[in-house]
Amino acid sequence: MHSIKKPLLKGFLDMLPLCLAVIPWGILCGSLAIQNGFTPFETQAMSLLVFAGSAQLVAIELIAGNTPLLTILFTTFIISSRHFLYGLAVRHKVIEQPMRWRLPVSFVLTDELFAFSHHPRAYQTQTRLIYALSAGFSFYIAWNIWTLIGIVAGTMLPDLTNLGLDFAIAATFIALVIPGIKNLATLVTVIVAGFCATLLKSTGFELWLVCSALLAMSAGYAVTRIVKNKDAKS
Amino acid sequence: MMTTILLMACITFFTRYLFLHRALPFKVGPKMQQFLSFSAPAVLTAIWVPIVFINDEGINLSWQNPYLSAAIVAIIVAYKTHNIYLTTLAGMGLFLILN
Repeated sequence: MHSIKKPLLKGFLDMLPLCLAVIPWGILCGSLAIQNGFTPFETQAMSLLVFAGSAQLVAIELIAGNTPLLTILFTTFIISSRHFLYGLAVRHKVIEQPMRWRLPVSFVLTDELFAFSHHPRAYQTQTRLIYALSAGFSFYIAWNIWTLIGIVAGTMLPDLTNLGLDFAIAATFIALVIPGIKNLATLVTVIVAGFCATLLKSTGFELWLVCSALLAMSAGYAVTRIVKNKDAKS
Repeated sequence: MMTTILLMACITFFTRYLFLHRALPFKVGPKMQQFLSFSAPAVLTAIWVPIVFINDEGINLSWQNPYLSAAIVAIIVAYKTHNIYLTTLAGMGLFLILN
């Protein structure tokens, strides 16, 4: 029993800042849907089943604007396509685990959980699986509580993301990324990612996130190769 | 409406689960693995940097931009302390004062 408690608690505590950082978005998902004619049941179902903040927010606007179903689904697919990268990146760590672990892990494999997946032995022991599921599902529960608050508050609350509270997610992501910059390749990756994402997103290009991530990863990979070749020669 | 929500759920789950499916017959080679090792810093940075630099009017590179000064402080605290709580508190604290 004791061996389960520790990773459970650590997963929860590691994810807690991220759970708090998404309060503005979770509430917005709830209130925006209600304002756009969703029933409370449909709104909560969206957070319970889709569980993807950016896809939900965009879809709510599209559904409210009577957008054709195929367009909504295609947009959802584009926004969610970054998850393919996460699955690929953790595949060798998770693939040996039985279905009863892989299924829940993939269900909660959000940007936030992926940020805690870099350890070489992540997902490979029971303790680390419990840690990951604790982190992943505490984020899931938090997301649904914030949605519920948004549903109940409806129009009473102001849009917290317009108050600048969207900075909270930037601050937590900074805290996750900066300590991981330990070599030139990662530094180049981060700079290229930030530059491309800002440029592509400001032009309204729909694939901005996946494209800037792939460009940045290529740049980081190229730097690794160049440094390796140099070391081999000298 | 529920049909749309259910179909959306299928799509997001599909994108998360696909490469964790064992029957997919491929192995990620060492070069591909090296490439993928940059995915976390790449995606997370691609999410947070536009939050700092883009507002409703477009790209904002001015020093008056409270997102920018708060982000710089957060970066320094993250670099020095490696602590997510301190970083978030320092960044948010300065941001709320400036904004």
